[in-house]
Amino acid sequence: MSLFSVLSIGSSGMAAQRARAELLAENLANAETTRTPEGGPYRRKDVVFASTEIDSPFASAFSRELEAAGGVAVGDVITDMRDPELRYLPGHPDADAEGYVAFPRVNPAEDMVDLMGATRGYEANVASISAAKDMIERSLDLLK
Amino acid sequence: MLDRVAGQLERYMDLLSARQKLVASNIANADTPGYRTRDLDFQGEFEAAAGLTPEVVPVAGLPVKNDGNNVSLDREARLLSENAMRFQVASSLMRTQIHTLQTAITGGGQSE
Repeated sequence: MSLFSVLSIGSSGMAAQRARAELLAENLANAETTRTPEGGPYRRKDVVFASTEIDSPFASAFSRELEAAGGVAVGDVITDMRDPELRYLPGHPDADAEGYVAFPRVNPAEDMVDLMGATRGYEANVASISAAKDMIERSLDLLK
Repeated sequence: MLDRVAGQLERYMDLLSARQKLVASNIANADTPGYRTRDLDFQGEFEAAAGLTPEVVPVAGLPVKNDGNNVSLDREARLLSENAMRFQVASSLMRTQIHTLQTAITGGGQSE
């Protein structure tokens, strides 16, 4: 039954959007972080989504034919390699010889807007799951 | 299945599920760079002989965003609820068909 794979597609979308939201939250949390294990200030991260084939446990060979269009997954996490923002803070412990501190190039407004996008994307996937669930329930009602 | 009407209904519901899957897939890929909206020619497929695998076609005429993606969440949300409602109608009709058959089997007596 191809309706069950709608659930898999929806959940793949939810997982991908959640991963995106996690990275955005990480960016916001680290907007002022000047020390990282790799050294230097924190660098902004973002996801690139890639469409994938859905591996539904119930999928038959026939329904797999239909699944050319599949789910989504995080294809890549990209790190923003732009030069850090230099702020003149001579008293800061991480200041260089001239008194400049390298801060992450994170624009909270940009991340907040992306976070809203991720939330909306998540909601849209939830809607597709509940629509499919409703259709499955309707089909089951035929047996009553 | 039961008769021609029920067979048509079954085909209709199959097509609706196939379409719902494409809609879900489009929604899931709303932020995938380069992804193009996919759909099936619903009317054409329904008129075609039953039992064939519906052909998935790209949707033309949607504005393409900077990342090459052309998924319109508004269009997909509309299709999502439209499909679910059509399915609801079809399943209610199918239920009536099954009930008619049940009545025939039980000779109009108590079916419970």
